[in-house]
Amino acid sequence: MDPSLPYLTLLILIGCTECFPDDRQQNGTGRYDYCVLGAGPSGLQMGYFLSRAKRDYVILERNSGPGSFFNKYPRHRKLISINKIYTGSQNREFNMRHDWNSLLSDRPNLLLKRVSRDFFPPADAFPVYLSMFEKELGLRVRYGVDIGRIGAVRSPEGRRYILTDQHELDYTCSVLLVASGLWVPQRVEFVGSDLVEGYESISTDPEDYKDQAVLILGKGNSAFETAQSISGRAKLVHMLSSNPVRLAWQTHYVGDLRAVNNDLLDTYQLKSLDGLAEIPLDKIAITQLKEQGWSRSGAKKKVNKPKFCVTLKKYLQHQEEKNGSDARRAETLEYQLDNFSMRKPYDRVISCLGFRFNFSIFQSSARPLNSDNAKGRLPRLTAWYEGDNTPGLFVLGTAAHSRDYRSSAGGFVHGFRYTVRSVHRVLEQRYHGNPWQSTELSTTQLQSWILKRINEASGPYQMFEVLGDVILLRGSRCEYVEEFTLQALPRFSSLSGHEVSKHGLIVLVMQYGKNKVDYLGRGRADTEWTTAWKSNFLHPVLYYYDKLPTDEEMKLRPPGWPLPRPKAIHHMVEDFLTEWGTPISHIQPLRRFLEHCVQTDLRAFYAESCFRLSLAHRKPPLFCQQGYLKRQGVARDSRLWQRDQDGGPMPTVRDEGTSGADPAFPAHLAQAGASISAGLKLDF
Amino acid sequence: MWPCVAALLLLPLGGCARRTGPSALTEHTAADFSDALHSGKTLFIYFQQLVSPTISLFLVELEQSADALQHYGVLVGKVNCNKESFHGYCAEEKAVNTVFLFRGGKEFLGFSLDIVFDVNSIVSEVLFAILREEIKYVHTETDLLAMEKAARGRKDIALCYVSSLGTQEHRSMMETAYVLCFTQATEIRRVICFTRFTQPWRRKPKGIGHRNPPKKLIHRARLSFSVSPCSVDETSRSSQVWFLHCSGHSRSMTSEHCPSTRMSQPLSTLSLHSFLQLMEAPLVSEVYQDPSSVRPPQHPYQDTPQVFLFSRPATKREDLYEATALAWRLRGLALVLLVHRSPAVKTPEEYNAAYKLPEKGSVVKYLRSNSADELLELFTNPVEEDEDEEEDEDEEDPEEEPLDALDDEIAESVFENRLNLPDADSLAQLTSDNFHATVAQSSLTVALFYLPWSAVSNAVLSSFSDVAERLEGSEVQMSVVNCAEWTDLCAAESGGSPPIPFQPITAFPTVLLLRPKESAQRYGGLLGAEALHRFITLSQPASPVLLSTEEEVTSFLLEGFARYKPARALGLFRTRADAGVRQFTEAAKSLRGEVLTGLLTDGLAEKWAAEHGVRLPAALVLPSGAKRTRASALPASASAQELLSHIGAALLHPVPELTVENLPSFLSLGRGLLLLFVGEEEDEIGHTQNQALLKEMRDVVELGGGWMERYLVCWLHLGHTPAGMSVLGSYLGSMPPLPALVLTHLPSGSEVYQYPPNTPILASSVLQWLQRVEDGTESAAGMLGGGSWPPTTELFDFLKIMDMQDPDLSRQRASEEKVEEGGDSFPARDKYPHTEL
Repeated sequence: MDPSLPYLTLLILIGCTECFPDDRQQNGTGRYDYCVLGAGPSGLQMGYFLSRAKRDYVILERNSGPGSFFNKYPRHRKLISINKIYTGSQNREFNMRHDWNSLLSDRPNLLLKRVSRDFFPPADAFPVYLSMFEKELGLRVRYGVDIGRIGAVRSPEGRRYILTDQHELDYTCSVLLVASGLWVPQRVEFVGSDLVEGYESISTDPEDYKDQAVLILGKGNSAFETAQSISGRAKLVHMLSSNPVRLAWQTHYVGDLRAVNNDLLDTYQLKSLDGLAEIPLDKIAITQLKEQGWSRSGAKKKVNKPKFCVTLKKYLQHQEEKNGSDARRAETLEYQLDNFSMRKPYDRVISCLGFRFNFSIFQSSARPLNSDNAKGRLPRLTAWYEGDNTPGLFVLGTAAHSRDYRSSAGGFVHGFRYTVRSVHRVLEQRYHGNPWQSTELSTTQLQSWILKRINEASGPYQMFEVLGDVILLRGSRCEYVEEFTLQALPRFSSLSGHEVSKHGLIVLVMQYGKNKVDYLGRGRADTEWTTAWKSNFLHPVLYYYDKLPTDEEMKLRPPGWPLPRPKAIHHMVEDFLTEWGTPISHIQPLRRFLEHCVQTDLRAFYAESCFRLSLAHRKPPLFCQQGYLKRQGVARDSRLWQRDQDGGPMPTVRDEGTSGADPAFPAHLAQAGASISAGLKLDF
Repeated sequence: MWPCVAALLLLPLGGCARRTGPSALTEHTAADFSDALHSGKTLFIYFQQLVSPTISLFLVELEQSADALQHYGVLVGKVNCNKESFHGYCAEEKAVNTVFLFRGGKEFLGFSLDIVFDVNSIVSEVLFAILREEIKYVHTETDLLAMEKAARGRKDIALCYVSSLGTQEHRSMMETAYVLCFTQATEIRRVICFTRFTQPWRRKPKGIGHRNPPKKLIHRARLSFSVSPCSVDETSRSSQVWFLHCSGHSRSMTSEHCPSTRMSQPLSTLSLHSFLQLMEAPLVSEVYQDPSSVRPPQHPYQDTPQVFLFSRPATKREDLYEATALAWRLRGLALVLLVHRSPAVKTPEEYNAAYKLPEKGSVVKYLRSNSADELLELFTNPVEEDEDEEEDEDEEDPEEEPLDALDDEIAESVFENRLNLPDADSLAQLTSDNFHATVAQSSLTVALFYLPWSAVSNAVLSSFSDVAERLEGSEVQMSVVNCAEWTDLCAAESGGSPPIPFQPITAFPTVLLLRPKESAQRYGGLLGAEALHRFITLSQPASPVLLSTEEEVTSFLLEGFARYKPARALGLFRTRADAGVRQFTEAAKSLRGEVLTGLLTDGLAEKWAAEHGVRLPAALVLPSGAKRTRASALPASASAQELLSHIGAALLHPVPELTVENLPSFLSLGRGLLLLFVGEEEDEIGHTQNQALLKEMRDVVELGGGWMERYLVCWLHLGHTPAGMSVLGSYLGSMPPLPALVLTHLPSGSEVYQYPPNTPILASSVLQWLQRVEDGTESAAGMLGGGSWPPTTELFDFLKIMDMQDPDLSRQRASEEKVEEGGDSFPARDKYPHTEL
């Protein structure tokens, strides 16, 4: 399958005998500035940025190829990340909004669509794509290096991380970028949890579920994917978890149930034997039903087909206290509660509860803390994705989802490809003194630039409320910094290397409304710009601060807000086409808001008006200063003044530049040499 | 002034007199005419020499006008020349057809009987004459702008358009103007002005067969008010009145114009009077009682309907905003009251509006209205029944949606013409894919980088496609780059292919000139069709042109370039290898498109230099339109930048004409401007005068010598550059007689000095005046406007609205509140939520 595999294996063997092609190899250790742990999508994405910046890095991967997770998962082999090939646009940046699988690079064609043209591509396409990405960009990946232990040491040069592989080889790095993903199946402990099959090991052949009653624990996409796969054969499928199902199209969180997987909602609501129920999983108990003599049809008993009953822990304990361990039948809820919904036994119980971060390889010196959210499954991180207590250790990819768990797209390829870029910019600034890439603009161009970003930028669009553009105001100029990690705004100057001037800053964020509305009902969308703050769908929001907010202000920001309360805020009304470019509803209100941020008139004027204003004032408005006075005035085009309506007054054409029909004067004054240089004369 | 007030007080008496007593027309004898004349009263006298049916008819009208005019302090009389012969008037033949107005004991004006032939024409023309000094006249939009600027924050303006003089309408306006000017002088808040977009017609006198000579009058330049609040419907030719609300608007948000209201009722003295009074009424009054108990409007608004809108405390701000928006639209038609819901308000919640008509006994009608238009219809329909064109007018009313009206002139013009915008697709599209191939195909590719939603881009695109049409069939490839689509090309990201020959585009629109295997040249001139076309045309020859024969030099200096007369610069060097050649070539590159450059070396260069009496290296320049080349020696080792400024200085005309296009290069010199405004010449004499003036200005430069170097002496032709008119107006507050000489843009301050207007402009006296200005003995005639341009509108404060409607939404958390992050934890308070258990 992978032609380079024998070679790689060979390389590892050689590696054991200390013959790495690297000349850095000393005492059996590799020394690198950057170690990337894992050659999945986030590891390769970081590899690309490190490679482009010509940094000393290595990507360590325990398997023989990139993205090995996808060789197995999703079990039913269909990716639910959209791969939209036709968008009607040639804009590469814009098209990334609708390509959820590809990684970022400067190669226009290095996209997943080269591997698969399916809207929901087969899972096998992804490792193929990753492999292509790695090879075409020439990323430095060491396959077959299984890091089993990670520790941190203090050294004269600073903190270093030491990674030890299965052959006791050490890799020493100043910066460790953990891109190991999530692959340890998440379990919930309850009485009888050992009787449960896991998503990772179940059969994916629907025939194996023929006429069975199946209980699935979990209501995420893996649970529904499984249910969808077997529902054609199983007798019934019940799904159980603590929370009701959350639909991605309602929550705008792609980790919630996607419509592509939700067939079971149909069969549940149309009362076709399937069903959903809510109980916290740590409150349940699953018992294996033992054969009991009371059955009248004892002779027909199936052998070796155990059945499982769901009950609640409290009944179990109650029984245990009274009668010891021998009360099987009485422990079932059928016995306890008359019409308990799960009173019938199941043939199988399958756990589809997702995955957790593998903390086990980290020694205490290097172990990130557990996150407060996501049931502690993820490492706890700073707003710039560094371990809270592990300086120099950054977490990338799905494992970094604790920053935006259940709110944005940081746990998914189409989101974390941008956060990886942001982390790389943090690294460049911190370790190499390269400030974040930025664009310097005239303030009169700011509005156009903002509109351009709003209409094409993919990073803030996918990583809504997490990444945002920061505009540093400097009077007549401004500095545009793209895709900063919003939560780190109080540390903006040190992280980005850009100073904030007394003119303040604007932060551009894409965000959803926070109101719960009927997303398909009337009144779901707003079209009036004056009520734009009530927009429910993704729309741009601009925050103006006169100085950077403090950590404290960030912590106490209004509930549901990505940023603290600003000096002024501007919501641009949601747009059905997500094209924010209409003159009255989008552009003019934005311009007026920007005028208040920069405290000046930002209107555009024709050259003739600039001429008047320049002569009659000490200084004309900014637009004239930055255009007209630099000889780049905008002449009024005659055609724009020929209205097609009749009856209305005919606009004047006396000011337009093209008419040569002013015959009287020039003949006389031409000799006087009426202008300074070529042909400037009489053109206006 | 006192007599005027007295006259007004006499109004009821006069009315009585007409009914009961004899006419106010006085028949004078020689003696009492003389007395009356010397009493200083205003007299309107007809000296009757003949008796004819026409004259008799006129006398009847004159008699009637006597009643009307006496209210305005004008005594109307007649002298019968047949009874006693007067010296002068009775003897004069022209007096047969003329009525005379006397003021202050002197003849003030004579009116032909063609003009004053009935009551209306007599009253209007006489008042017109009396008020000549009091009423301002608007001929062009610029006049209006200057007037609005002057009135802003202080006065309102009543603007009247008279379609024909001597009519009932004209009379109504004049009568109203008289009252405003003379009886309320102590608190003048209003200026009445007349527009004369087109010369008004004089109404043809009935009964008097006389040729009208209107041809000359109407054959004037048609000026129109496309962006003015008052657009005159030329087809209807009906008189119109607008009220310009300037006093309350120190800085209007929608335009340079003050907000305006058009009077929609038919014009009469009474309706005009009540219209003007209505304009003084508060826009929205707020009340806290039920509409049924609100008092009917008090004098002078008793004939005006009332409209009630209801407001809830929660939406107070929005309601007021809506009410204000509606009030602007109803201004002059109805009074708007905002009723705050309180216990005193009994109106059921289902109604959100109500109105009460002014008729006696009418009751409040309640309704539920979904749009302002519904309410508007209630009051506009009855009035507009007989005036169909009104509807169009309303649609164009810029005050209709104050917040939504585009207040950016470029955005507005592009928006207005959105159906006529040129299609970018008709031009060649440069894309990331075809860029290199396309550029390689032609010797010159001109590319416009634009953003489709940007109004400025669209305005320039329009000019650009105009140039493209003109250049069709030429070598030049005109193309556009849509930077909303080809974002990587505009960011100059090559993505592996050959490098892109320009820097990332960060300003839109940008025009680049691309030549195969060369880095791009950015077009830095005026973004207009004419300027761009000229630049492209002049960019086509090499820069510099390498000249090697006498003929080539001659043709380089003389050859025409389409209709352009470019400036030329010729570099003379000893050899091609000369160090200066490289610098000159570099300088020539950046002059490409603006100045034709040539390079001459070896023997021929020596010869040309010798002919001009300079030593090599040297430059010969030929300013645009000049006949003789000027030669100057070049420093031996000049950088390209030094060469550029050298050539620039050599091309600079001593007394240039300021135009919209070239002003920036002059302002960048940072010198004070000694600026002569000249008007459009109507004949040969005008030309000669202007020539003489320019000669004087050149003498100023020469006589002043080094001392004058701190000033740029220049002139502005108001015919070429009409925008100069409002500039002059803003310097001096009003239009001075032309020519006008001003000193402005002094580095030291904002003062503008005007050369004494009635003094002949002579070089020596100008220099003396300048000296006095420098000595500080001249006082400034005006000031430049400030250089600060605050935001155009008040902030539309979303935070405030949020605070009002949902105070918790945008409030920072208190520090003791628990900060919940993400959180999918099982909610404790509800143990088994939504379960089927």
